[in-house]
Amino acid sequence: MSLEIQNLHVRIEEREILHGVDLKVDKDQTHALMGPNGSGKSTLANTIMGNPNYEVTEGKILFNGEDLTEADPDERARAGLFLAFQYPATIPGVRLAQFLRIAVNSRREEPMKPKEFGKVLGENMELLRIDRSFSSRYLNEGFSGGEKKRAEILQLAMLKPEIAVLDETDSGLDIDALRIVSDGVNALRGPTMGTLIITHYTRILEYVKPDFVHIMLDGRIVREGGAELADELEERGYDFVREEWEGRDAA
Amino acid sequence: MPPSTATWLDEQRKQALDAYEAEPVPTWRRSGFWTTTLRKLDLESLEPRTHEPVDELPEVVADALAEDELGALVLQRGASTVRTFLHPELAEQGVIVSSLEDAVEQHSELVHEWYMRRLSHEEGKFPAASAAFWTGGVFVHVPKGVRLDKPIQSVYLIDEPGTAQYAHTLVVVGENSECSFREYCLGAPIDGQALHAGGFELYAQAGANVQVAHFQDWGPGEVYDISTKRVEIGRDAHVSWVPVHLGGRLTKQTLDIITAEQGSDMRHTGLYFTEGEEHLDLFTTDKHERGHTTGDTVWKGALTGKSRASYEGLIHIVKDAQETHTYLQTHQMLLSQAAKGDAIPSLIVQTDNVSASHGGTVGELDEDQIFYMNTRGIPRSEAVRILVEGYFEEVVQRLSDPGLQALVRRRIAQKLVAAEDQVAEFIGERAGSEVAPAEGRQEDEAA
Repeated sequence: MSLEIQNLHVRIEEREILHGVDLKVDKDQTHALMGPNGSGKSTLANTIMGNPNYEVTEGKILFNGEDLTEADPDERARAGLFLAFQYPATIPGVRLAQFLRIAVNSRREEPMKPKEFGKVLGENMELLRIDRSFSSRYLNEGFSGGEKKRAEILQLAMLKPEIAVLDETDSGLDIDALRIVSDGVNALRGPTMGTLIITHYTRILEYVKPDFVHIMLDGRIVREGGAELADELEERGYDFVREEWEGRDAA
Repeated sequence: MPPSTATWLDEQRKQALDAYEAEPVPTWRRSGFWTTTLRKLDLESLEPRTHEPVDELPEVVADALAEDELGALVLQRGASTVRTFLHPELAEQGVIVSSLEDAVEQHSELVHEWYMRRLSHEEGKFPAASAAFWTGGVFVHVPKGVRLDKPIQSVYLIDEPGTAQYAHTLVVVGENSECSFREYCLGAPIDGQALHAGGFELYAQAGANVQVAHFQDWGPGEVYDISTKRVEIGRDAHVSWVPVHLGGRLTKQTLDIITAEQGSDMRHTGLYFTEGEEHLDLFTTDKHERGHTTGDTVWKGALTGKSRASYEGLIHIVKDAQETHTYLQTHQMLLSQAAKGDAIPSLIVQTDNVSASHGGTVGELDEDQIFYMNTRGIPRSEAVRILVEGYFEEVVQRLSDPGLQALVRRRIAQKLVAAEDQVAEFIGERAGSEVAPAEGRQEDEAA
């Protein structure tokens, strides 16, 4: 069980953003994709989920061996992929619990019984220390940055994907919220859920230890390693990686 | 003109008739592409149709009416009042609910005191027509200090082609009274033309608290609705007014809500959803005639098919109405390529020391929202349905009655199902194009 990205080239309008990305995330692994702003991290996340604004010009996205490169986003979601958004959309007039029920049932043959749904929702809200009153609020409307991120992780917990992509989930979180979100991710990841954490900073990786770290620059993955790579990055910064990479390019 | 024993009414009807005959059939033009014309209406072929009283509610009425315990009902089919009901509890409290015709006979002075205070036959051909020709009609009087928990409902039904329905509703809510009034304009599917020309006036006296809803669904027939509705709010009174437009071949309405005394407060919330060949032209005014009044207006619309919808909302604060605080927002959502509409908020402020602002959006479905829902496993067509229902939910919430809420939600869902293919095509084309959707926004502030 894995998400495998092969030689992915992606364009927005006329501009190529990703220039051949390879990445494989197994179901029992946690990966971190790091890189400075504008390096193409969010483009990769959006392309994995099939955002229609991003055009794949070359390469493949395979999920459990099946080619999903051309699949609609909702098919990918039902197949077991999930994206926690950096900037989640606001859905006025649709309550969080109502939305979650529709989403949960979209991947089931038989809808979940309301009582069971309520129980699971309650447990997950407790896990993420989200106030019960949130379930009747319109999705993301008037939510603070931290509340939105927690609501994203709540959806992750409810939908139980096989592979979750977390796009800058740590940005805009204060230390307490970061800890709650990290605890939530730690409780969910493991043998049945692979995780790709996309982040600019190493902060979240202190709480959620990755098995692998990939560094992206200008639409390419330029360095890969274990958790220690994040520590190195913390010490030496992206400029160091860039110099090293450009040096290699010139050589 | 129907004769009555009230000479004051006969005199008013005669003046209205003179005005009607002097006025040409109007065409309403506004800047831009907008024109509302009646050239396809064969006015000469329409006439008032009379009907016998009924024991059972006609099907289209029974389907629509909210099921909560009814306080009173007046049902007008075509030109005739065919059923009235007044709960004994309300009768004991001195509440009057009847046809306006009966009220003129039985409560002539009371009707005379309020009738046409805020409406005039000098406003054009159709206001003159309804003032001259109305039959049946609705009269509601809630005396001072009465609080009703059961709603009062009236229904205008058109179920025959060739019908001209001239209507007049007069509602007076006494000092410190509370009530909920709902008026339904319903049409059975008819093959042919019909006209509803209506006048509506409601007076909430000092300290009253009134919930008013208008539910209009003339059905798929060729029904023209040209009406003027006016609500006046007295000192420290509150009115929440929710007009809902869900069907009619051509609708041209003027909807005005007036805070007439200090401390009066309005909440004005409208909804429309046009489809097929429908044409909707609404002009609303939130008029503040005195200072220390407050208002909050939200209008939301959606368009499918080849329909046309124009909403213009004006905030008017007159001279000396200082310390007025009011806000108007209007939103319109296009759901098909061939639909066309506009939503225009505007402001006339003739005094200072007020806060009045308005904002509006005319747009389409947001691709980011659809993508977001897709990533949760929700297919595109369902995402669209959820988004449109969610968009209207703010307005539906303001219909305080669960039965009416359910009716409106059901009709919105039906319209979305009916338009599913064209909506999918429309948003599909847009998703395939590389150009970001055009979204117009305008914000104005005057403080």
